[in-house]
Amino acid sequence: MKSLDRQLLKAHDANDTAALVSLYTQAADHTDDVDAACFYLTHAYVFALERGDKAADALRERLAARGREPSHD
Amino acid sequence: MDHVTDVDAVRRPIHEAHGLPNAHYIDPSIYDEEKHAVLFSGWAGLGVGAEVPEIGDAVPHTFLGIPLLLLRDKTGKVRVFQNTCRHRGMILVEEPRKIEGAIRCPYHSWCYSTEGRLVSTPHVGGPGQNTHDGIDHALLGLIEIRCYVWMDVVWINISGDAPEFVDANAELVTQWADFGKPLFHGGEDSTFQLTLDCNWKLAVENYCESYHLPWVHPGLNSYSRLEDHYHIEVPEKYSGQGTWVYRQLKDDAGNSFPDFGGIDNKWDTAAEYISVFPNVLMGVHRDHTFAIVLTPEGPERTIENIHLYYAAPKTDSNLRAQNTEQWKLIFNEDVFVVEGMQRGRHAPQFDGGRFSPAMDGPTHLFHDWVASKLQTHRNAKMAAE
Repeated sequence: MKSLDRQLLKAHDANDTAALVSLYTQAADHTDDVDAACFYLTHAYVFALERGDKAADALRERLAARGREPSHD
Repeated sequence: MDHVTDVDAVRRPIHEAHGLPNAHYIDPSIYDEEKHAVLFSGWAGLGVGAEVPEIGDAVPHTFLGIPLLLLRDKTGKVRVFQNTCRHRGMILVEEPRKIEGAIRCPYHSWCYSTEGRLVSTPHVGGPGQNTHDGIDHALLGLIEIRCYVWMDVVWINISGDAPEFVDANAELVTQWADFGKPLFHGGEDSTFQLTLDCNWKLAVENYCESYHLPWVHPGLNSYSRLEDHYHIEVPEKYSGQGTWVYRQLKDDAGNSFPDFGGIDNKWDTAAEYISVFPNVLMGVHRDHTFAIVLTPEGPERTIENIHLYYAAPKTDSNLRAQNTEQWKLIFNEDVFVVEGMQRGRHAPQFDGGRFSPAMDGPTHLFHDWVASKLQTHRNAKMAAE
């Protein structure tokens, strides 16, 4: 996880939103804590939205399934 | 208490009228009053569509202190929003850029679509909780400013209650119907800015009339003499001047720009220059048009944003450069005049000036229009009190 943290900081510094989507998704996938996962998924989703990344739809669905995004918008 | 000026003398017939008092050019409180009465109440020019040529292009503007965002949405429609997040009022877009997906607020990452819809509110209900009963996305989209694109100028109505643009400007749209067709911005070599140390109205006033041409633009006068010009006067709407002897620019090989198709024969030699009140100066010719959008930056400072347009998407770059240079020269020749008149407004006994009844009709028409807008605004304010 420390490696992931470092990569996230690097991606933030570089404003590399593609990497941020990928890394936050990985962070969500690596935790069993639902709240922590939704925190990371939220970040992945927001950066995906910003860059017009198709991944946004799937990320949104994951959040909506856990009641963290409206079920439809 | 606000400084209230007497504008009755402005509204008299031209042979006995005075121009707007000095305070209308130098007093911050009158500048603020005119902002509401004259610039916010109707359709003012903000910029041009060519600033956002592609889907997702976004350009922040500050219009009389208001942070605005000019953008082209995902459907290709030009829109103007207040450039502020509905959460904490943070500025959303600081520099011109392309919005690839959503507009993300850099503060707490609330996200908006290019149509202004609030798309996501991360952590709004707590960490990882992106909804809350108190936050209704449907009510928290970006604040949209009414806008309309005509001859590629983006016109905005800040007050939100002006008649539709095409109704408010019906006479002009008809007068220039020949140019109500696709106009092609000449690109980077066909736009430039001038910074003027003067009130924005002086740029309008100078543009309205041909009286100054032989003195200030002797080069222009060599082929387009004063007597070749005519006044354009539509009371309470717009004013300007026309010439019967427009001569096309030609390069050494005799090439000129392509003409606009299907236009009246009148334009073979005619050209017209109209001040579209309040703050856009436009010109039309058989082979090109231009728009000057004035951005007021205080009582004594104005930016002129000049854009040249052609009848075809591709035109000769050398000819374009020559045309830009020619207009730059002419517009620069006006700078000492508008700045000189501005300094003249600090002479306390200047009484607004007297107009030439024969030559200043279009200028007086603008003064009268400003005065009428101020009277309407003041009357409404008094009634509200």
